Amino acid sequence: MLRFENVGMRFGAGPEILRDVTFLLDAGSFTFLTGPSGAGKTTLLRLMYLAEPPTRGLITLFGCDLATTSRSKFPALRRRIGVVFQDFRLLDHLSAFDNVALPLRLAGKQLDHYAHDVEELLDWVGLGSKLDAKPHTLSGGEQQRVAIARAVVGRPDLLLADEPTGNVDPDIAQRLVRLFEELNRLGTTVLIATHDRSLLERTQAHEMRLVDGRLIEMRTPRA
Amino acid sequence: MSAQRPGRIMPHREGAAPLDVVIGVMGFLAALALGASLVAARTAEGWRAGLADSFTVQILPHQGAGPDLQSETATALALLRSTSGVSRVRIVSDAEANALVAPWLGTDTALADLPLPRLIDASITSGATLDLARLALRLRKAAPDSRLDDHAIWLARLKRAADTMMWSAWGVLVLIALATAATVTFATRAALAAHQDIVSLLHQMGARTGFIARAFEWHYFVSALTASAFGAALAAGLFAIAGGLEGAGIEAVPFLPPLGLGVLELGWLLAVPAAAGLIALATARLSVVAALARNY
Repeated sequence: MLRFENVGMRFGAGPEILRDVTFLLDAGSFTFLTGPSGAGKTTLLRLMYLAEPPTRGLITLFGCDLATTSRSKFPALRRRIGVVFQDFRLLDHLSAFDNVALPLRLAGKQLDHYAHDVEELLDWVGLGSKLDAKPHTLSGGEQQRVAIARAVVGRPDLLLADEPTGNVDPDIAQRLVRLFEELNRLGTTVLIATHDRSLLERTQAHEMRLVDGRLIEMRTPRA
Repeated sequence: MSAQRPGRIMPHREGAAPLDVVIGVMGFLAALALGASLVAARTAEGWRAGLADSFTVQILPHQGAGPDLQSETATALALLRSTSGVSRVRIVSDAEANALVAPWLGTDTALADLPLPRLIDASITSGATLDLARLALRLRKAAPDSRLDDHAIWLARLKRAADTMMWSAWGVLVLIALATAATVTFATRAALAAHQDIVSLLHQMGARTGFIARAFEWHYFVSALTASAFGAALAAGLFAIAGGLEGAGIEAVPFLPPLGLGVLELGWLLAVPAAAGLIALATARLSVVAALARNY
């Protein structure tokens, strides 16, 4: 599914933010990416969702070596990835419904075909009464749920989430993790970057620990 | 269901009025230039048609022995009337001849003493092919002081003048098109910068370049089409006012040919907003594609 081999990353002439990162995410796996602030989690996620090219090393995604794959194929690869951004990145001029529907529109689907799915998903994350609400009228937690619904609505092959439960109360957090687990059961590979260790304790998942730009630990789920 | 139709990917533009004003002015100037080229073409064609189907024979007064002016004129007149392909022959009266030279020589009574040539105005039968060079030789034989003027020099000058006007108008149109393209390029770049967050998100979510470009190009197509249509309509209004004044016997602009445009000619002005829209569409698309090509 996703392989990193000796990947390094630096911005300009700055220090190396990621160093010799090597790992393999198997298809259908559920993994938490943990580590202190500034460890490089967000940068690692950006490499995974093709926001940046690595400075060195090899990345293989969905069987494609990114160094040799034509850029023209990147949009199709990106559409197979759902991303929950740490800052949500919702479009302020669109309603919650339209924000969630965006990946389906990009995939060329028509309103008639996706309207029901979008409404059902927003209902599931507790926003069934706020389909027409603009992001700026929603609380931080509600915006986060819209962002999560947008990331999962297209049933991506790979779901990457950066602190997806950072702004919600424990009950909602639990509900969202159940959503990720459900998606994982349906075949989506899930990777969640988080500070919240209580999430790890409640789920059977791998853990990748990143410290100071290095991957220091790959832990398999407890039996 | 709450959403009747999907929301626009790009938000409504704010602060776009200056661009609309600039493109509206461009549309106005382009329509004026196009109208001017149509007036030039129509005028040149009128002059050409008026001169190409006629010719003039001058009988020059001479001193010394030989046939006199009257008999040479009569001979030339008879020859022309018997020539196939010549439909109308008439002698230009003294009063008309004096009127022709009056702007240069005045209307002084001394004019009557000047040895002015006699002029014969002749028309060519419509559709007839007349060998004017051969006719000139025949006239010289019959009336040695005759000169045939087929207006070739005037026609060549008129053609040059009309061509100059038309090419100037086309040059202005090309400059306006370039200025419009440059304006839209700047506006598109500004819009890309203003909506960088949206463009970046769409790119990140796997939007194809064409999808993002369409959101921008449609924006600018509609904007340029509307703004330049206003400009062209204003120019059409001016041409219509000029035509109305000329119809009422008031010269709209002294020394210029009639500026009023016919209905079909006014129809040509519709090309201005259409061209502006297409230029804006193509320019916006190229700008977006070039900007996105720099992304990973």
